Amino acid sequence: MAARKRASAPAAAPANAAATVSNGDKAEQKPKEASDPPIAPPKLGFILKLSLFLLAPYFYFFFYHYEIQQELQKSILINAALSLAGFFLTVKMIPVASRYVLRRNLFGYDINKKGTRQGTVKVPESLGIVVGIVFLVLAIIFQYFNFTADSIWLVEYNAALACICFMTLLGFVDDVLDIPWRVKLLLPSFAALPLLMAYAGHTTILIPKPLTQYVGVDVLDLGWIYKLYMGLLVVFCTNSINIHAGINGLEVGQTVVIASAILVHNIMQIGASIDPEKQQAHAFSIYLVQPLLATSLALLSYNWYPSSVFVGDTYTYFAGMTMAVVGILGHFSETLLIFFLPQVINFLLSLPQLAGIVHCPRHRLPRFDPDTGLLTGTKDGTVVNVYLRFFGKKKENSLCIHLLLVQAVGCGFCFFLRYLLTGWYK
Amino acid sequence: MAARKRASAPAAAPANAAATVSNGDKAEQKPKEASDPPIAPPKLGFILKLSLFLLAPYFYFFFYHYEIQQELQKSILINAALSLAGFFLTVKMIPVASRYVLRRNLFGYDINKKGTRQGTVKVPESLGIVVGIVFLVLAIIFQYFNFTADSIWLVEYNAALACICFMTLLGFVDDVLDIPWRVKLLLPSFAALPLLMAYAGHTTILIPKPLTQYVGVDILVHNIMQIGASIDPEKQQAHAFSIYLVQPLLATSLALLSYNWYPSSVFVGDTYTYFAGMTMAVVGILGHFSETLLIFFLPQVINFLLSLPQLAGIVHCPRHRLPRFDPDTGLLTGTKDGTVVNVYLRFFGKKKENSLCIHLLLVQAVGCGFCFFLRYLLTGWYK
Repeated sequence: MAARKRASAPAAAPANAAATVSNGDKAEQKPKEASDPPIAPPKLGFILKLSLFLLAPYFYFFFYHYEIQQELQKSILINAALSLAGFFLTVKMIPVASRYVLRRNLFGYDINKKGTRQGTVKVPESLGIVVGIVFLVLAIIFQYFNFTADSIWLVEYNAALACICFMTLLGFVDDVLDIPWRVKLLLPSFAALPLLMAYAGHTTILIPKPLTQYVGVDVLDLGWIYKLYMGLLVVFCTNSINIHAGINGLEVGQTVVIASAILVHNIMQIGASIDPEKQQAHAFSIYLVQPLLATSLALLSYNWYPSSVFVGDTYTYFAGMTMAVVGILGHFSETLLIFFLPQVINFLLSLPQLAGIVHCPRHRLPRFDPDTGLLTGTKDGTVVNVYLRFFGKKKENSLCIHLLLVQAVGCGFCFFLRYLLTGWYK
Repeated sequence: MAARKRASAPAAAPANAAATVSNGDKAEQKPKEASDPPIAPPKLGFILKLSLFLLAPYFYFFFYHYEIQQELQKSILINAALSLAGFFLTVKMIPVASRYVLRRNLFGYDINKKGTRQGTVKVPESLGIVVGIVFLVLAIIFQYFNFTADSIWLVEYNAALACICFMTLLGFVDDVLDIPWRVKLLLPSFAALPLLMAYAGHTTILIPKPLTQYVGVDILVHNIMQIGASIDPEKQQAHAFSIYLVQPLLATSLALLSYNWYPSSVFVGDTYTYFAGMTMAVVGILGHFSETLLIFFLPQVINFLLSLPQLAGIVHCPRHRLPRFDPDTGLLTGTKDGTVVNVYLRFFGKKKENSLCIHLLLVQAVGCGFCFFLRYLLTGWYK
C-alpha cells in the first residue's frame, strides 16, 4: 500500500497529442505526447553511491577474501553482467512505461505531499511491472549461460520462474482491478505451490547450539510442517513488504538492503563451504538476487524521494516472492526471516488493526504538515509511526534513510546472531 | 484484435453504489453495484450441446476403443475432474471479474452491432485473465496428482507453466497498456525461451479467438489415439503431457465461450489469445507433435498468408479489418481485406454474425478431420 490516493473516477482527459516525440527510440511506436518527458530524470548519482555502499562487502568477499572456484565465478560474473544490462534497460524503460500507464489512468497522488504543489502531481503507478518483466527476461536468458545446470537445477529454476511470474501477474491484476484483500491473501499460496513441489531438499532444521540440550537433538525433521512453513513464508514475504510502506522509496529501499544482505550471506556460504550441493544452492540464490537487486536499484532511481513513480503491488509481490523463493531453494529461509526482522515487527504491530480489533483506516500513514514539511507519527500500529513517535517528527527522506539504516542494522545483527549460535561460517 | 472500439477517453462515472449485492459469495468483498448483474447469464445449454458434440470422439477412444493402462487412465481422469471443477469456477468468476473490469474502464463496444441497441452496450474486456488464472491454478494443483512424475517431466511441466504464465502476463499488460505491435512481436520470443531450454525446436503462434475450441478438441483426439495405438512409453508420456494441459484449456475456454458466444456478453482480450496460443504451442512442442498441430491450424495459416500484404504494408491496412455490418438487415458483408472472414463472406454471400461463426468453426473442424485423413494417407493409421 503506497502513499497515494487511488484515482477512482477517471479524472481529466489524457495528455494532449503533440507533433514531437521526445526521445528517439526508433524501435518503438510511442503515443504522441507533450514534448516534456512525463517524469523527472533518474537520480543516478544517488543510486551509484548507494550501490557502492551496499555492494562493498559483497565485492570484498567475492573478489578478495574467498577463493571461489572458476566455474562458479564465471557463472556469477555472467549473471552480474546480465544484471547490469538489466539495470540500464530498466532505467530506460520506466519513463516509456510511465507514459502508457498515465494514459490509462493508472496513477496516484502523493498523500505525504498533500497541501504542497507536489501533492497535485499525477504520479504513475505500478512501475513494478517493468521490473518484473525485465527480471523475467534476464532470468530466462541466464539459463543458457549456466553451464553447470543439471535436470534438478532446471526443475527448481523453472519452478522459481513460474512462481515469480505468477506472483507478478497477480500483483499487476491487483493494481489494475483492485482485488479484495481476502483474495490477495489466498492467491500467493497457489503461486507458491510449484515451489513446494520442486523443493527436493530436506525438511529438517538445525537447532541452534545453545538450545540442543533442551530439544534433545541437533537436527529436527519437520516433514510436512516444513512445507507448510514454506507456504506461509511466501505469503508473509509478499504481504509484509506491502504493509511496511507508504514513504517514498521505502518498499524498494528495504528490498535492496535485504537483497544485498542475502548476497553477502550467499557468498560467505559459498566461500566457507566445501559441500558442492550447499555451494550450488547459494549460487542459485545469487543468480536470482543479482537481477532483483539491479532492476530494483533502477526503479529506486525514480522512486527515491521525491518519487517520480510509484511501484504498485506489482513490485512488492514480485520482490517478496523472489526473496521467499531464493530463501527456500537456497535452504536459508531461517536466515532470511531474520533479515526480515523489521517486517516481522511491523506485522506484529499491525495485527490488532488487521484483525479488526482496533479500527483500521484505509491508509495508516503518518500525518504530514505542509507548513513544516515534517511527518508526525499517528496511533496506527506500524514501524513507520512507532519510529516517529519514539524519535520525533521527521522529514520524509530522513525518515526513509533512518528506516533503511534500521533494516541494515537488523541484517548486521543477523550475521552476529549466526556467529553466536552456529559459529562463524566454516 | 477484437471487434470493439477501445474506450480511450474515460467515459461516464462508475456504476452507482446500491445496497444489495447481487450474488451471495461470502468469500469475497465485492464493490457495491447495481442489483442487476453486469452481464447476461451464461449460455450453458449451448455449451453443453457443443461439448457433447466436440468430445464424443474423444470419449469414444478413451473409454471404449483403446485399452489405456490403469496409471495413465487414472491421471487423465483426475485431470479431467480438475478441469471440470475449473469449468464451473470460471463460469462463476467471469461475472465477478466483469464488475471489476468495467469499474476500471476496460471495456469496448461491439463494432458488429453498431447502429443497433446492442452496439451501445459496454462490453467488459480482457476476461481471458480469468481463464488464464484458473488454468494456472489447475495446472499447479495437478502436479500433486501426477504420481508418475519424474524429474524430466517436472522440468518440462514447470517450463510450460513459466511460459504460459509469462505469456498471460504479457497479454494482460497489453490489454491494459496497449503495447506497440513491434514490442508485441518481440516479447513472446522471450516467453518461449524456457521451453526451448526444456526441448529443442519451436513454433509460436497466435490464434483467432473463436476457433480455439475445435483445435483444442482435435489435439485431445490426436493425443488419445497416439496413446492408445502406441506401445512406446515415452511417446505415451509425451501425449499424456499434452492431455494434462489441454483438458484444463478446453474446460476453461468452454466456460469463457458460454459468455463470449454470440451475442458476446464479454470480450476475451489479447490476454486470452496469447494464453491459448502459447498453451497449444507448448503442448505441440513438448508432446512432440508440432507438425500435426500446424495442420490443425490450417485455417490460421491461410488467414496469415491472406493477411501478409496488409501486415507488410504493401496494401493499406486499416485499424480493423472487419466485414461491414448493415444494421437494417443484420447481415455482414465481406470487404476487400485479406482475412478468411472477409474472403469467406465474399465467396458465400452475406451472412448473419452467428451463422458466419458457425460456418467458420465447421471449416475448422473439417480442416482438422482432413488432417487425420492426411496422416492416414501419409503415415498409415495410428498403430
